[in-house]
Amino acid sequence: MTLAPPSAPTPGIAPADRVALLARCRAIVSERHVLESPSALTVYESDGLPGYHRRPTFAVFPGDRAEVLAVMSALAERGVPFVARGAGTGLSGGALADGTVLLGLNRLKRIIALDPVARTATVEPGVVNATLTRAAAAHGLHYAPDPSSQSACTIGGNVAENAGGPHCLKYGVTQNHVLAATIALPTGEALTLTRDDATRGYDLLGAFIGSEGCFGVVLDVTVRLTPDPEKILTLLADFTRVDDAAAAVSAIVAAGILPAAMEMMDQATIEAVESSVYAAGYPRDAAAVLLVEVDGAAVGLDEDAAVIEAHCRAHGARTVRIASDATDRARLWQGRKKAFGAMGRVSRSLAVQDAVVPRTRLAELLTAITAIGVAHGVRVLNVFHAGDGNLHPNIPYDAQNADESTRVHAAMREIMQRCIDVGGTITGEHGVGLDKLGYMDALFTAPTLEAMCDLRTVFDPTHRANPGKVIPVHRCREWRAAPNARQS
Amino acid sequence: MARRAEREAVVTRADEMVLEAVRDATAASRAVRIIGGGGWAEAHAAITPDAIALPTRATAGIRAYEPDDLTITVGAGTTLAELDAATHPHRQFCPLAPPGTDDATIGAVLATGIAGPTAATWGRPRDLTLGVTVIDGHAREIRAGGRVVKNVAGFDLTRLTVGAFGTLGVIVEASLRLRALPAVDESWLLTDADAAAFASWRRGPYAPVASAALDEGTLVRIAGNATFVAAARAALRACGTITSVDPRRWHALRASHPRALPPLAWSPLAARVKTAFDPAHTLNRGLVPR
Ligand SMILES: Cc1cc2nc3c(=O)[nH]c(=O)nc-3n(C[C@H](O)[C@H](O)[C@H](O)COP(=O)(O)OP(=O)(O)OC[C@H]3O[C@@H](n4cnc5c(N)ncnc54)[C@H](O)[C@@H]3O)c2cc1C
Ligand SMILES: Cc1cc2nc3c(=O)[nH]c(=O)nc-3n(C[C@H](O)[C@H](O)[C@H](O)COP(=O)(O)OP(=O)(O)OC[C@H]3O[C@@H](n4cnc5c(N)ncnc54)[C@H](O)[C@@H]3O)c2cc1C
Repeated sequence: MTLAPPSAPTPGIAPADRVALLARCRAIVSERHVLESPSALTVYESDGLPGYHRRPTFAVFPGDRAEVLAVMSALAERGVPFVARGAGTGLSGGALADGTVLLGLNRLKRIIALDPVARTATVEPGVVNATLTRAAAAHGLHYAPDPSSQSACTIGGNVAENAGGPHCLKYGVTQNHVLAATIALPTGEALTLTRDDATRGYDLLGAFIGSEGCFGVVLDVTVRLTPDPEKILTLLADFTRVDDAAAAVSAIVAAGILPAAMEMMDQATIEAVESSVYAAGYPRDAAAVLLVEVDGAAVGLDEDAAVIEAHCRAHGARTVRIASDATDRARLWQGRKKAFGAMGRVSRSLAVQDAVVPRTRLAELLTAITAIGVAHGVRVLNVFHAGDGNLHPNIPYDAQNADESTRVHAAMREIMQRCIDVGGTITGEHGVGLDKLGYMDALFTAPTLEAMCDLRTVFDPTHRANPGKVIPVHRCREWRAAPNARQS
Repeated sequence: MARRAEREAVVTRADEMVLEAVRDATAASRAVRIIGGGGWAEAHAAITPDAIALPTRATAGIRAYEPDDLTITVGAGTTLAELDAATHPHRQFCPLAPPGTDDATIGAVLATGIAGPTAATWGRPRDLTLGVTVIDGHAREIRAGGRVVKNVAGFDLTRLTVGAFGTLGVIVEASLRLRALPAVDESWLLTDADAAAFASWRRGPYAPVASAALDEGTLVRIAGNATFVAAARAALRACGTITSVDPRRWHALRASHPRALPPLAWSPLAARVKTAFDPAHTLNRGLVPR
């Protein structure tokens, strides 16, 4: 058999265990919150990333914490693996359950507490990101991490993926906003992880965030809420050359201005957006547009915007305009936030990529990406968090077409290798999941992957939580040591 | 080019020597005491007295620095003063400002993980660390994280290392986030303050970069572009009497920080982490329970 990722085998469930567990789960969460028919499970066979399909043996949707813990204890008793799932908007195949039990957390959607004075909120894992911000709005606060999927994705999924978003350039990613979390270890034991910098101990909360469902299940999260800025200025700059736009990004970063967000879209993306219902008024003939936002105290903000505008013009921007009002700003942002959706419309499938490079290498990488696309006969659409160097080169294609699929994958592999070669990484926010397992060996040394696997073993000694994800299984000590583990 | 290769060879040799020292100590069932600048005696006193001294200063050096990326990679033995000397000419800095002096090494600052007064605005050590290379108790060289500002590949061993007091691994290299020096940066002493007015100033749009309560008043630091700082200063003045202060006052404050070792926060899960990375308690034995 081949040991190569990404096809890490997951152990199946013995039929007797399945029958017994189904009965136990129905008793815990009631009949209607357990799904097992193939038709009912169809939606749970994939996540936000088209192209991967895995069928869970059944899906169970607990309604509160006690039910989650009871289900997890039942799974633990029989040693059955499971995969936690929030809204299923993930873009790395992370929430797919291959013959294992799918544990849906989307019914746990209570905002447990919101303290406008302390500027914190405690929420259940199924609370949708944008719902929390809406609840905080009355107090002039918001939850800062704003993935483009914020109207659907859950806080539990955000914690598991350490999600980012356009405004993370200034405000930081999920990791910077979580103050505490109650988690359930795969044994069904609940514990609270906090952060206290005034003690001597390990940052277990920090280690848990971004663990992609492999360390346990998030039961509740306490997050920091951020005061709404006094004023926001959104600039749209358009360029006739992609390099110029990338150089402008580097110049703005180097000048020491920290915009709230700095996003870039190339010509192919602009075309997709402008041809869709999300048309934002981006100039269709531009090679690239930059969307730059500054926010904060009203006083002094115009100066920052002026510096940004000057850098854009110095790097060849044709026009730079500032959104006239909140409606105009929302329209400019809508084009950006719905860009993936607009791309999805132009083809059957969309290969979504997520890599980070040093910001000074952006122009070079964009040129290389175009060349790689040409060489493989595929069209790459770029829409990305330019201020962080976080690229999203996406390729629309037809997954039914075997030849085209092969070319798309070859192009993606080359793009990722280039990102690694310039000192970058293979994911800035979407996680490794299933999709990026095959790049892990190129990015990390063997002892580093083994150490990551060791950390996972601390939380999940029997590797039952989201098995086969994140770390190629041949890098784990236990797997190498146990010959039985190779049979499946 | 040749010079650069030579320098990298020297640097790698220093890292290798740390690895060999840990391997030898583990083989001999001995413990090692990791030393940065050696400036915090209280931390060293808590380590078992028969531990072999493991100095890390030789790893010092700027290993990669592209100023326009606002990131830097340094050997763990590099001091805060050396980091400033490399970055200030480019009008950049790393906002680490831990208790003690600028002779502290980056390895120690990250190992102790303690934040300075600017942490709430400019980030704590763990927020500023993009990646670390550590030698764990199995004498494995672990290259965690990376050099770019956003990265979710794999499990977060960087976060685990920062604040672990060297008990999970010896830090030999670190990549850090930098910031541009603010255009204007002022420190003020606020006296005769209207407490409510000051509290609301602090929570509002003029939130300061740092503030510290002293016997004689409140030390406040405001930074940003000239227009912003002028407005923030005017609003602060409305809260009480303000007097301009030498920014070195912040250094004095760091030096006078209490020296005692912070209390231990331990759990069965933490003990399992320790066992995974340093089962023989080779590293800084005595700092966490056995
Ligand atoms: C159009 C679009 C735009 C996007 N834009 C962004 C973006 O800007 N930034 C960004 O970071 N991401 C983005 N994403 C990706 C995705 O939305 C995020 O990864 C999000 O955090 C996933 O949340 P979810 O609730 O959908 O999780 P799911 O997809 O259900 O699960 C994701 C992972 O989290 C685990 N998980 C879920 N819930 C829990 C829990 N309670 N406990 C433990 N583990 C759990 C799962 O096992 C899985 O590994 C985008 C996705 C789409 C479709
Ligand atoms: C007056 C004073 C008060 C202080 N108060 C506190 C406090 O309250 N809380 C706190 O956390 N820190 C405190 N510190 C520590 C301080 O913030 C820095 O961590 C310290 O000054 C670093 O100096 P150093 O290089 O001389 O480290 P050292 O004194 O050499 O080492 C400090 C600790 O870090 C470990 N260490 C050093 N280098 C490494 C490495 N490369 N890898 C792994 N571990 C390493 C050492 O084993 C030791 O435990 C204080 C320091 C001083 C001088």
